[in-house]
Amino acid sequence: MTQAATVPVLDLSTCDKEPIRTPGSIQPHGFLLTLAPDLAVLQASGNVGDWTGVAARDAVGQPLAAVIGAAAAQRIAPELAADLGPRPYYAGTITTANGHHFDVLAHAWDGVIIAEFEAVDRAEAADFRHLYPLIGDFLLKVNDATGIEALASLACQHIRSVTGFGRVLVYQFDADGHGHVTAEARDERYHSYMGQHFPASDIPAQARELYKLSRIRLIQDATYVPAPLVPALNPVTGRPNDLSFAALRSVSPVHLQYMRNMNTLASMSVSLMVKGKLWGLISCHNEEPIPIAFEKRTACEQLGQILALCIESREDAADLQFRLEVRRTMVSMLAGLTQGSDFVENLINVFPDLLRFARASGAAIMVDGRVLTYGDTPEEDDVRALVDWLTLHDHGDVFHTDKLSAQYPPAERLTRNASGLLAMPISRIHKHYLLWFRPEWVHTIEWAGNPHAKAAAPGAVSGAPPTQLSPRTSFDAWRETIHGTSQPWHQGEIEMALEFRTALLGIALERAEQMAELAEELGRANKELEAFSYSVSHDLRAPLRHIVGFADLLLESAGSEDAQQRQRFLKNIKEAARLAGKLVDDLLSFSQMGRASLRPTTVDMNDLVASCLDKLALETRGRNIEWNIGTLPEAWADPTFLHLALFNLLANAVKFTGQRDPAVIRVSAEDHPHETVFHVADNGAGFNMEYVHKLFGVFQRLHRMEDFQGTGIGLANVRRIVERHNGRVWADSVQGEGATFSFALPKQDASH
Amino acid sequence: MLKPILLVEDNPNDLELTLIALSKSQLANQVIIVRDGAEALDSLHRRGEYASRPAGNPAVVLLDLKLPKVDGLEVLREVRSTDGLKPLPVVMLTSSKEEQDLVRSYELGVNAYVVKPVDFTEFVRAIADLGIFWAVLNEPPPGSQRYVKPNK
Repeated sequence: MTQAATVPVLDLSTCDKEPIRTPGSIQPHGFLLTLAPDLAVLQASGNVGDWTGVAARDAVGQPLAAVIGAAAAQRIAPELAADLGPRPYYAGTITTANGHHFDVLAHAWDGVIIAEFEAVDRAEAADFRHLYPLIGDFLLKVNDATGIEALASLACQHIRSVTGFGRVLVYQFDADGHGHVTAEARDERYHSYMGQHFPASDIPAQARELYKLSRIRLIQDATYVPAPLVPALNPVTGRPNDLSFAALRSVSPVHLQYMRNMNTLASMSVSLMVKGKLWGLISCHNEEPIPIAFEKRTACEQLGQILALCIESREDAADLQFRLEVRRTMVSMLAGLTQGSDFVENLINVFPDLLRFARASGAAIMVDGRVLTYGDTPEEDDVRALVDWLTLHDHGDVFHTDKLSAQYPPAERLTRNASGLLAMPISRIHKHYLLWFRPEWVHTIEWAGNPHAKAAAPGAVSGAPPTQLSPRTSFDAWRETIHGTSQPWHQGEIEMALEFRTALLGIALERAEQMAELAEELGRANKELEAFSYSVSHDLRAPLRHIVGFADLLLESAGSEDAQQRQRFLKNIKEAARLAGKLVDDLLSFSQMGRASLRPTTVDMNDLVASCLDKLALETRGRNIEWNIGTLPEAWADPTFLHLALFNLLANAVKFTGQRDPAVIRVSAEDHPHETVFHVADNGAGFNMEYVHKLFGVFQRLHRMEDFQGTGIGLANVRRIVERHNGRVWADSVQGEGATFSFALPKQDASH
Repeated sequence: MLKPILLVEDNPNDLELTLIALSKSQLANQVIIVRDGAEALDSLHRRGEYASRPAGNPAVVLLDLKLPKVDGLEVLREVRSTDGLKPLPVVMLTSSKEEQDLVRSYELGVNAYVVKPVDFTEFVRAIADLGIFWAVLNEPPPGSQRYVKPNK
């Protein structure tokens, strides 16, 4: 039992009740203080005395300087007093009065400043050049034609070499949440988990939720004794502290026991978020405890984000390619359908395309009681019975399954050629059906331990009372053979099937031409995707180069007296790192814009503007802004998306009027018969109309970075959102006098 | 008197790093800085706020590819299609080695194309090499500004 897999968290469904966000304690390889805005200590972790000599109960109520020493407090006070975000921010490295060194991470959350002090054995600041060998090399390969698995494997190697973990693996979740190990890098003493599956229940739902929000977690020594917070409750909220984002957050004791059982004393995991979902994890294991300092974790986290972006763009490209193929088949099929006058006869003509279209091995049509089959299908009587069953159980527009016998028991006889079924009515009144069949696909899954036997392991942990939660202990490979299922239907196939039906109903000639146009449009979407990955390679590399450059200069100037210059280098490094993170986030949200489905409804624009202004309160504080907001008509749009677009425009107006006193920002609207037009006008810096055509492109900037901050994605988002509503967006400006951004949204009846 | 180097760079961090690299390479050339493609063209054409600058082309233009307003490729295209600017050495500096950028730069007649190395020591070396080659050693074609006495 010396070399075993670990999975990141617990494996029992009762673990769903563990208070993982509010454990009330921390891992003791550092200490934690919660601070009031004036930096007075509100709470201290129980181990603060071990590190500073000031006991927790004595620390509470004292100024920060009384705990960490006046020099250290003076050093980080400006960082702590700045506007802290909700995620840990590296505030600097300090030496306490008693001579210990700590990296200080700070974030504002749950009503307090959470300051974490991670012990390190160096007095100087964290060296962000660790970002370089890892990410620089990785980025160079981003645009090569390598597949996702090669990239994941590369990521594993890099993370291993930076952190020293004995085993690093990437695993991907399937639709049911089971994990599948797709890449691995390991010391030869460690057992391989390549290709194995981990059941979904290994990671409770609430842990998955937390993984989406907090992208990296480290347990540096599973034998640790948790240090509780003193006092236990957050004095601002009166409840246990929410430590969701604290780097030192203590984990469930069951999980620690489980790690110890597995002889894995250190673990780290990095979330891979793709399209807003937890796509998978990078999971790291080590037999010995292992400290991973903040800058190394930052490097791993950024690498995880970049890997996720690459995965997203690869998956999108593959998905688009797939849909393009399907649509081409459909277009040629529709053309075939217009050859003769009899609809059913025409369908028979296109049977081969019909199979190819859905990657099926058999197809059947039932029209007016007639059953026509093609390829490998069940017998005619079986098809009739199946259609009867489908008619009885309304499945909406389309029915699809990769295990028909699970819902329709008579299909147990039919698994050979009808394990999978995609079926849809082509008339709501008559019993007309189109069916595609897929054969059985017998395959085996290699699980890391038998997932069906997990509940029956009480007392498996030696000395554990039977009532205590106990993690599963066996991870020996366990092979399961799957019968009665077909290859799953691709989401693109299902959507295309629906479109195909619409096309059939709308029949055919004039539609065929439109379809050809749509195929072209998909080609355009592919172009946009190329532009996107081009930007990833281009704009992400710049901040990394800056980090490395200034870090080199910083080292070079280590002995020099020019403290001011060194401070500036350090500031440049931190800002470049922050910008890189923001770029990744913005790119992710931009790519999401193009995908999430719209849910249009009637939107009260006055409410929408008001809520945007609320959100802008932070930026407008201390500014003199005259808001000139007319009464706005309703719009027909998806409120979430429109909110984002409007927010971007208003935030831009606030940003570009930064030099004006007063700034004047006007929001107005015009109601036309078929569309509603909205304007956001400001008296700010404006732009040169010569470059207006570049304004809405990704990463296009018309101003210098130091004059107006930003990543260059905001207006690209606005255009994408408005165009997805079939609307138009445009801008006008007189440079130096202001700008007006306008968008028009079609009204409800006009939008289709 | 050496002719100046025209540095076209919008990003403040890149600007600072390039200036440090240039100063490390101990070139005596003056460095003129402009911050976007439109300004670069104004400076080269001696118009707008550069109308009164002394005549004569710079020794070399170090041109970033991605620039606000007018990007590096557009600047290059205009330089190559303007009499009097055609022979001007232009070195494209860029973050990425996207093939499409490289191909288009060469199609437009760039003199050199440099992907900014991530490693700063290499970056200093690259800048120094460029500077020495283009600003000191390079023999411009006959008829170019070099044969007009620069400090008249």
